[in-house]
Amino acid sequence: MPATRTSPAAQAVAELDDLNLKLARGQRMLRRLKDEDVQIATADKEVVFREDKTTLYRYKSTAKRTIGVPVLVAYGQIGRYTMTDLQEDRSMLRNLLALGVDIYAVDWGSPTRGDRWLTFEDYVDVYLADCIEHICRAHDLPAINLLGICEGGVFSLCYAALYPERIKNLILTITPVDFHQDQAEGRLNHGFVNLWTRGLGDDDIERLIEANGNLPGELMSYVFSQMTPGATMSKYNVGLLDTFDDEKRLLNFLRMEKWLADRPHHPGEAAKQLLINLYKNNELVRGEFQLGGRKVNLKDIKVPVLNVFAKDDHVIPPKTTQALRRAVGSNDYTEIGLDGGHVGVFVGGKSQGVLGKGIADWLKKRD
Amino acid sequence: MNETSKSLAENWAAGQQAMWKPFFPWTAGQSGEPKPAANSNPLEEQFNELRDTWQASVAKWTDFAKEATQGELPSADKLREMFAPAAWAHGAASGPGVFDAALQRVLEGPRYAVLWDLDRQLLELQKLTLQRDKAVAAYQAVVQKAWNAAFQRFAKALGSDQQTSAKLTWRSLTDKWLAVANDTLIEVHRSEKFIEAQRHMLRAASDRHLQERKIAEAWCEAGHIPTRSEIDELQRHVVELRREVRLLRRATPTGATPAAAAGARKAPARRPRTASKRART
Repeated sequence: MPATRTSPAAQAVAELDDLNLKLARGQRMLRRLKDEDVQIATADKEVVFREDKTTLYRYKSTAKRTIGVPVLVAYGQIGRYTMTDLQEDRSMLRNLLALGVDIYAVDWGSPTRGDRWLTFEDYVDVYLADCIEHICRAHDLPAINLLGICEGGVFSLCYAALYPERIKNLILTITPVDFHQDQAEGRLNHGFVNLWTRGLGDDDIERLIEANGNLPGELMSYVFSQMTPGATMSKYNVGLLDTFDDEKRLLNFLRMEKWLADRPHHPGEAAKQLLINLYKNNELVRGEFQLGGRKVNLKDIKVPVLNVFAKDDHVIPPKTTQALRRAVGSNDYTEIGLDGGHVGVFVGGKSQGVLGKGIADWLKKRD
Repeated sequence: MNETSKSLAENWAAGQQAMWKPFFPWTAGQSGEPKPAANSNPLEEQFNELRDTWQASVAKWTDFAKEATQGELPSADKLREMFAPAAWAHGAASGPGVFDAALQRVLEGPRYAVLWDLDRQLLELQKLTLQRDKAVAAYQAVVQKAWNAAFQRFAKALGSDQQTSAKLTWRSLTDKWLAVANDTLIEVHRSEKFIEAQRHMLRAASDRHLQERKIAEAWCEAGHIPTRSEIDELQRHVVELRREVRLLRRATPTGATPAAAAGARKAPARRPRTASKRART
């Protein structure tokens, strides 16, 4: 077969041939793969505390401890904590463990209609607070390191502002703070959730929650898919086809699919707080957000703060999280901007060596 | 109007006129019959007015009967049933008539009262379903416009670069199309029209969903089954009670949970919050 073909007909035939070969290869791989081959969040861990649907895990150490104070990782309700350990070679948790960090992670479980009435207060004052109390008691420590991710970062900010004595160092990753800075950089593909939420009336949100009990995970998936329409429409054709060259790539694709499919419903009342009080009214950065009658004043956060963001985060645009610098009362504020998007920070190949090391190095200096 | 209905309406109208004719032998429109002299005396005037009122009433009832046969109001069969003596009698062979059924609903209590209401609820659901479908169609129209714009841009991009397009492979063509479609759709997704169409769609879906629930709950109530709203309310009470229990435990060292006890030992007590506080209140 000639190396280069000049005839359009010959080119077309060759292309069709390649495509068919790829499809056949993919079909063979998919037939061979079973659900048990697609596992996520497999790092070795044990349950150390449970309360209602909340589970606190402690990860088994894989290296000599280099940091004395443990880190509690708190994800949000829009997605599951399993993102932090998607696969062996793309895992923030494994990277931190390998660097000698003692890791705990909180799993909020899968809320159902019965959890409709849970509020931010329940997550901050009860579940997160009790997990922290458990760790403090287990290690006989007055305070621990808290690492919040996305909405879990908002929980962490609220907790750190209300219970500063329990936090030694605060780490935030891809966490929204000023919800109205979504177009500060003028990037059209950024901040659609902010725009979408502001387009809804308070009563629209209340009717939505009343009708469904919770904020349906499927609805949030749909809204997210509108942020990247090209990727959404090509995912199961061109995107999947691209993975047929390499089984490892296909498995990566399937693991991500597994995580995406596991999007929990957001408890209704807490969802109202997230969408109305935070996204619409921007109360957090204004110092007006209230939990159980107490104002969350970010200026009360005086412990060292590390804020990690993704430079191309279309969900939490950089400026929405970088607003934290001016909002907190800490004199020790550090930012790390990583290449990649919202989820790419955790699963992208580029960030693997950077994210874990950046956090561990920062912690070591403040241990 | 079919023949049977027409004849029923005409018969009914004729019957009404025949009934009132003896009272008002001079009724207008009956040629050859004497008419009262105008302004003869006040009593006569009043009587004339009464006559006109009755005439108008008869005409209205005649129209009503005709409309009824066109199906806009109770059907001819229903009218017949309404005026048939057998339907008024209990234990008639054809079963209870509509009036008896209404009485029965009242007598049998909430179950049938709810079922009576269900007709209106179902109509409301139908209306909301139509509204939702309209909202979906309006949303799809906005999206379709975006796709059309994307295709036009794509065609233009290909046309403007003939040299490149000659070398295009299916994959590069697909990638180009995806890039153009992605940019166009993102632009549209940020437009006021799109946001508003999506908001309407979501709202219409919620409203319909809630109406559907209302009907389901009517059936639940009729069948003595707890409704979604009742369960929601119950769960709310449970959540609020649990919050109160937690606060009480934390306030009582002997009853404190291990975590709370540890908290009390190593850190200042948690700041109290309103236990029954609801979101956004």
